[in-house]
Amino acid sequence: MSPVKTVGEVFDAIQQAKAGASDFRTNFFPVSAKLQGWIDHGELVSDVLEKTAFFFRRDRDFRHFYFCAPSLPALQDSLAAISALKTERIVTDLIGNETALAELFASLENAGFRRYLKLQRMARTGPGDALNSEAVDVQVGFAEKSDSQAISRLLENIFDHFGEQIPALYEVEEAAANRQILIVNRDGLLAGLLFFETQGFASAVRFWAVGKRFHAAGIGSALMRHYLRAHSEVRRFTLWVKAGNQNAIQKYGHYGYAADGLVDHVLANEMIR
Amino acid sequence: MMKTTTEILKEIRPEFDFSASNDFLADGMLDSFDMVTLVAALDKNYGISIRGTDILPENFQNLQTIETLLRNSGAKI
Repeated sequence: MSPVKTVGEVFDAIQQAKAGASDFRTNFFPVSAKLQGWIDHGELVSDVLEKTAFFFRRDRDFRHFYFCAPSLPALQDSLAAISALKTERIVTDLIGNETALAELFASLENAGFRRYLKLQRMARTGPGDALNSEAVDVQVGFAEKSDSQAISRLLENIFDHFGEQIPALYEVEEAAANRQILIVNRDGLLAGLLFFETQGFASAVRFWAVGKRFHAAGIGSALMRHYLRAHSEVRRFTLWVKAGNQNAIQKYGHYGYAADGLVDHVLANEMIR
Repeated sequence: MMKTTTEILKEIRPEFDFSASNDFLADGMLDSFDMVTLVAALDKNYGISIRGTDILPENFQNLQTIETLLRNSGAKI
């Protein structure tokens, strides 16, 4: 495996796998800006076997695994040749409609992966300001860089770091600088946050969390209402939620989100227990 | 009956006005997953098979680039 040094290297490797592909298979949908961040922080390495490209991204004490293969048999052959899958802690994602993922499941399970977590995407269409206002006495504001440590701690406490793509501290700092994190403070502590990414007419909630001791105080509701109202120009809102988390699914449903059929199966290898 | 590209896009993302945008990706109207759905719908509608090497963001930027892609893929439009 060799370190990836430029964004172009990634797209070249993907193109090579696509060229003449009979049945291109991938779980890698990279965005240039994110790739650049991973490269700048030395997180991304790659390997090319025949025409199949593999990428590993370091995240805390494990790696995320991505593949771009010209066909399913090519993927299966190459997976068998990657020794890191047997010696390192690795997770990978399969994203799509449930029925379309069956063959890929089998290939990855043969390579030693098992099902770890299932996420489902929920979407909400229409303007954010269509919500009826509720008078809630909670002060919502944008996070600042100095809030980043507390934000990271809250995310680590609430979300699964193998399965839910918790951002690194530098990503939290960047998001705070870009005004992508709304927060509520109580008694000098971070009580809740809503971390989002907006592009044009679409916006995604990455994380919505309230600290345990601040539950049932209207903080989560205030964050979501503030977020939706502040995005009156947005026409499509999305988020990913644990498929079995009925409490969260119900809450999102309350704000107009509904499952849109896309699922993300997170798989972990045998090194992760 | 054959649908227009705009009609296909509208079926995938009814909430957006595609005729008002010059860059569907920058405007957040299509994401990577939508592109996969769109390619399958275009293949079926026009009886073509868009090559894997042509599934690039720049080919799905707006109605003009999609129509150029369709012509290059053998669609009669």
